[in-house]
Amino acid sequence: MTTTNPGFSRRRFLALGGAVAGSAASGALAVGCSPASSTNTPAATGTGSSAKGVVTVMSQSGEFGPKEAKAASQALGLTVKTVEYDLTKLTAMLASGNPPDVVRGMGATETPYLVARQVAENLDPYFAKSTLIKADDIDPVNDVWRYDGEKQGSGPRYGFAKDYSQDCTIWYNGALFDAAKVTRPSATTPLLLDELLDEGRRLVKRQGAKVSVYGLNPNGLGLFGQLTWMTDLAGGKLTADDLASVDFSTPEAQRALTWYLEYAKAGIGPTVLNPDPNGWDGPTFQAGRMATTLSGYWLGGLFAGDPKSAKVAGFAPAPQFDTGRRVSPCFGATGLWMPKAGKNKDAAWAVMEWYLAGDPAKARASGGWGIPPLKSLQKLMPQKLPYQKQAYDVQMAEKEHFSVTSYTPYVRQDAINAVITRELPKAIKGSTSVGQFADTLNTQINAQLADGKKRLR
Amino acid sequence: MTSALTEVRRREAPAEAPSADRRKKPPSLRKARTFYLFVAPWIIGFVALTVFPLGYAFWLSLTDSDGLSPRTHFVGFDNYVEIFKDPLTLSSLGKTGLFALVTVPLSILAGLLLAVMLNQPIKGRGLLRGLIYLPAVVPPVGAALTFRLIFDRDAGAANGVLSGLGANPITWLVDPNVRYVLYALVLWGCGGSMIISLAGLQDIPRELLEAAQVDGASYWQSFTRITVPLLSPVILFQVITGVIGSLQSFAPLLLSSGSLSGAGTVPQGNYLYMIHVFAQYFSASRFGYASAMLWMLFAVILLVTLVIIKVSARTVFYTVEPGGQK
Repeated sequence: MTTTNPGFSRRRFLALGGAVAGSAASGALAVGCSPASSTNTPAATGTGSSAKGVVTVMSQSGEFGPKEAKAASQALGLTVKTVEYDLTKLTAMLASGNPPDVVRGMGATETPYLVARQVAENLDPYFAKSTLIKADDIDPVNDVWRYDGEKQGSGPRYGFAKDYSQDCTIWYNGALFDAAKVTRPSATTPLLLDELLDEGRRLVKRQGAKVSVYGLNPNGLGLFGQLTWMTDLAGGKLTADDLASVDFSTPEAQRALTWYLEYAKAGIGPTVLNPDPNGWDGPTFQAGRMATTLSGYWLGGLFAGDPKSAKVAGFAPAPQFDTGRRVSPCFGATGLWMPKAGKNKDAAWAVMEWYLAGDPAKARASGGWGIPPLKSLQKLMPQKLPYQKQAYDVQMAEKEHFSVTSYTPYVRQDAINAVITRELPKAIKGSTSVGQFADTLNTQINAQLADGKKRLR
Repeated sequence: MTSALTEVRRREAPAEAPSADRRKKPPSLRKARTFYLFVAPWIIGFVALTVFPLGYAFWLSLTDSDGLSPRTHFVGFDNYVEIFKDPLTLSSLGKTGLFALVTVPLSILAGLLLAVMLNQPIKGRGLLRGLIYLPAVVPPVGAALTFRLIFDRDAGAANGVLSGLGANPITWLVDPNVRYVLYALVLWGCGGSMIISLAGLQDIPRELLEAAQVDGASYWQSFTRITVPLLSPVILFQVITGVIGSLQSFAPLLLSSGSLSGAGTVPQGNYLYMIHVFAQYFSASRFGYASAMLWMLFAVILLVTLVIIKVSARTVFYTVEPGGQK
């Protein structure tokens, strides 16, 4: 036996083949998940429907899963199948011309994007003939699912919320407020954002340099939404009227940025530099490690089965700046929409109508995981426990401060949030000023918007 | 006797029925048909699951597709040109190169070191081999989630230990420290490399090492002159697969959020090439550009592999049987 040093060989061919096959596998993807709200679907009542055939619903299994599909099949006399929500899969199904018949979506941020790409079906004709959804019963929040090509909030309806929250309303841990000798937030008078920041500083608990209790989490469902809202509170606008550009350099936008940077530098809550390992506020709040969070009504659904949290939880209106302007936005209004290329639209509408306004909607309403999209169902919201009653009263009063914010059709919110997240650490650490931060955001986000607009030509 | 008879029959056979044989298909054709029948499932799978997706991705790379809109435009090679102008793409490629340069040698060295140690006749080595290999079979998502919890600034075990020692907590999961957490996560799975090296070590003929010992070679000399050269094909295999794996790594995504749409939130220190690809696909919805990036990655992997093979030509030694068969 000898050793040698050969040239190109069978083994080398196999190694090279491995490289080629490895590259081909580059598209291997992982699917993320997010906390899903609970639905308590009742047994089907067998109301029946004239629509027939198979309906495929793409949603999260915790919202519209096999159990809901079975109940829908029994109630409507249809075959209802479910597919787990996955953007990759949705894209592939749309590209193949065989999309799901009904798809989960976040109306507030997705409607203009979907409509501008001619993907979503105009549902006005279906609403017009609906027996379960009457025009005067529709909560105004559902206007986030409307888009007229220029502005969100008017024009045809392209979807409908299953439930919603005004996402800047406050949940607080009363016990932590009492322990820190901080007055609990008023149920009627909104806190000023500067007061909120100050209270966060007093509520935070540290063990050495570590934070054991967060004083405040104002991050909401994404920083672009939060900054848009705060700029609005300051009396300005972050996005131009044509939705094709942003301007972070106005005094109002600078005020919003400055407030957020003060919060981040104070180290009193989760930021991009110190993320909450739980990924969302639920477990942190339940563990008594979150004093205040701008999370919206839906988070209260979590406390119904958690007596410890139910005892200390309190709900308060969305805060405001000292400008006197009061806005309580909705960044989600998660619901269902129908792809334009769907094959069985009448049956798809029957499923949507049943899920959004039928028995499942009533069951959801009493669960407390969000505000029902129909006014008539809102009286079913839970009020049995003291925290539920308090939250209900605050929420009902808060409704009048809702208004639709127009989101751009040119890029996804994720893309804008990614730019903010990328540039934010430098601003928090002080290596860039607020003005420089604003200029960077303007340059990068406006380039994205311009590219998106060009692709929609 | 039997062999001789057989031999005779083989010689005589053509003379007995030449016309009948001409009517039958030639043996080579029959063999080819059998071969293709056997490999057909693989060929069908390869075409459907590799050739077609690659072709589709190439077509996408020539468009400005956003994955949703039917209004897709042909843009030629604009996406490929943009790759060379996009600072984020270039910097992510540089970071990926650095990541491969650090993690591949470290993983192989750690695996080899463990393999050498566990190739010794020590008590309980079977258990030790199993324990060290265990992290390699933990699903990457689980491992990343565990690391997120361990290295959390406020509630993590790592800072708990530091606090116990009186040191200040470290924000591990953000720049610049998150890069080291990523390296640790990758090295955590070096048990896989250990198993491959161990198999290679056990394939080395004992008589070679014994002969060297008889000739007075030290352990280090035996290791560097006999063990390493005979392990070189195994090391080459690990280098090539390791580099490919590193260039395609999306471990930073799992470490940061675990969600595809969260690709844009990965800290800049860990913003590797595939993370940028994910961000372009699922945050920016730039399917055309992201597809061009994947094709560019394919070219880079091919190039790097060829370079490694070329460079290794003088340093990798293959066992050759006396008859010349490798």
